[in-house]
Amino acid sequence: MDYLATKYLRPRKIPSTACSGCGLGQIHKKVVKAIDELGLDVGDVVWGTGIGCAGRQTFATWKGDNFAGTHGRVYALATGLRIALPPNKKIILTVGDGDAFGIGFNHLLNCARRNVDLTVIVCDNLGYMSTGGQYGWTTPEGYRTDSSPYGMWEPNWMQGGRDVLNILREAGATFLARHTSIEGQEAVESIKKAILNKGFSLVHMPYPCVTNFAERALGSRRPAVMYKWFKERTVKLNERVDEKALGDIYFRTGIYYDASNSRPEFAEALRNRVAEIQRRFR
Amino acid sequence: MKRTLDTGNAAITEGAIIAGCRLFAGYPITPATEIAENMSRRLPQVGGYYLQAEDELAALHICVGASLGGLKAMTATSGPGYILYADPYGWAIGSEIPVVIVNAQRVGPVSGITGAPGQGEFYLSRYPTQGGNFETIVLAPNSVQEAFTLTVEAFYLAERFRTPVTLLADQLVTDGWETLIIPETEEEIQAMGLKVIPRRINEGPEFYPATDEIDIPPVVLGHNTGAACSDWTPTAEGYDTEEVEWQHKHAYRLIYKIRNHKDLITRYESYFLEDDPEVILVSYGSPSRVVKSAVKAAREKGLKVGGLRLISLWPFPDEIFTKTAKYLSVELNYDGQLVREVQRAMPKGSEVHFMGKCGELPTVAELMELIEALIKGQPLKAKPWEMEAW
Ligand SMILES: Cc1ncc(C[n+]2csc(CCOP(=O)(O)OP(=O)(O)O)c2C)c(N)n1
Ligand code: SF4
Ligand SMILES: [Mg+2]
Repeated sequence: MDYLATKYLRPRKIPSTACSGCGLGQIHKKVVKAIDELGLDVGDVVWGTGIGCAGRQTFATWKGDNFAGTHGRVYALATGLRIALPPNKKIILTVGDGDAFGIGFNHLLNCARRNVDLTVIVCDNLGYMSTGGQYGWTTPEGYRTDSSPYGMWEPNWMQGGRDVLNILREAGATFLARHTSIEGQEAVESIKKAILNKGFSLVHMPYPCVTNFAERALGSRRPAVMYKWFKERTVKLNERVDEKALGDIYFRTGIYYDASNSRPEFAEALRNRVAEIQRRFR
Repeated sequence: MKRTLDTGNAAITEGAIIAGCRLFAGYPITPATEIAENMSRRLPQVGGYYLQAEDELAALHICVGASLGGLKAMTATSGPGYILYADPYGWAIGSEIPVVIVNAQRVGPVSGITGAPGQGEFYLSRYPTQGGNFETIVLAPNSVQEAFTLTVEAFYLAERFRTPVTLLADQLVTDGWETLIIPETEEEIQAMGLKVIPRRINEGPEFYPATDEIDIPPVVLGHNTGAACSDWTPTAEGYDTEEVEWQHKHAYRLIYKIRNHKDLITRYESYFLEDDPEVILVSYGSPSRVVKSAVKAAREKGLKVGGLRLISLWPFPDEIFTKTAKYLSVELNYDGQLVREVQRAMPKGSEVHFMGKCGELPTVAELMELIEALIKGQPLKAKPWEMEAW
């Protein structure tokens, strides 16, 4: 085991139970690296997850305290937990795209509106993958999955002029970034900023699912095929790209929006308000 | 002691605060809205937190999350919200997190009649979530004062059994105005027989031991105990597992921690049972008030009639049905829910009959008519609320 794993992760859960070649481990490692580079200890972080590959493969890997919510609801659970925990404890959530942008989207938006101090890492494998590979709300237009055998035809949250991060920004999130799992230190830096924001932060991290997505959409389980697909579609925010030539989905990566610590954090505001009302009634 | 005239909603609010509740998350719904409103006013005064959630799924999840962080928490709703609790309810049962849930029952199904009393969630409170493999604890007050004491009791049981407890009230109990006596000191709390225990923290490494024991502290996150809690079947340490053996251990714990300590939960009231009455009326919640009057009136006429009022509904108190008699279950629904459990629990040679109403209480006169018919052995007259031969 490497240094990070020894310091922060439980031997029992290593190696991960994810498929070999899965990009999830790249994300997992980047989150742990960010925690380490911020000088945080095991006891400083409470780690939560959702359901699905993203949830199950990262649940209880953290040496400290762990929880996993039901599908899509961990944001509401974490809101209650945020109020109860001391403000210096970090709550980091690793969740799936279906969990965050599908079934849990209402709760996610309300967390953004309230500016609840949470760091949400959306591990996006472009659909519902632990259930075998059905299309989700980030599945690229036209791509085949088990439930879109003729190609994804429904509008998604990513194309046609929509970007899920814009919706979250409008909702009130104070830190938003996107990185694909194949990126390096720049992704770690964004995760660090997300953790440091005392407010609602979300990092959208598309990653290769070799077993289900790649198999159906690209016709190959070979990691090299899926990684190449991702590499071609990972485009820095400020980088020029010939969209017409690409003619397909691509992921603009970098920090989308950084309003860190610019507006009151929900639990802190609630605590202050309660203290003030209490003073009046003493 | 503070003596006031107030509603069941206020009683539940004050009971929760005395029990140590410091977070309430809710969503407006008649007839439980007033509990939320009272909480929004009272909680900040005692250093507690009130939240309005985006829906009931979130409301109970926020409560459970707060409890997971060490705060005692409560939510309140009525039928349409209670059904949305199914998901977090199950999470809290499986992860064994204490939380108190109030259901001010109204008329259903779905939105039904909003401001009128019903008793349609008797079975739903037994099976408030999917999957089976658990028991639930449900208490049912029939007065404003009892709404207060049972709320305190609900928090007490939730902590000891580390599980959600439902206070299954109805619109007449929550909206009704009656005398309410509230203790103001520790001594007065004790003098009223109320018990309050603080939240304890499970230090691990066994968070989910395979035992029916109670008084095991729940998981509380943020203390670096290395706790793991989730919606999956846990090993003793809380790791997710797909081993059937662990599933069996977990189910055993969720079922038998409650079944094997039922004596700590069961509460009921019985009257006029000493001389083996021919007819015994069974009820809970607000109809039990009319039932008691009817039984007294029948006794004054010299009829051998008794009454059983259930205060704890689940686990169902089979053991209190000791008399062979003609049972009459009086409920605020037309489908007959309690009646099925009575039928199951009553001794051989007994009969069970049903009187259903909904949205309004039965009258003493209606009940007297049925009591007399049952004693004379006459068939019950066909009325919309009657179903014979259960
Ligand atoms: C309420 C509910 N609905 C459906 C499921 C089934 N389910 C389990 S994992 C999963 C896929 C989740 O997708 P995503 O969040 O994208 O995670 P992934 O598996 O793709 O990592 C689904 C639908 C569930 N567990 N709960
Ligand atoms: S199914 Fe896909 S996302 Fe899930 S573990 Fe396997 S490769 Fe990874
Ligand atoms: Mg997914």
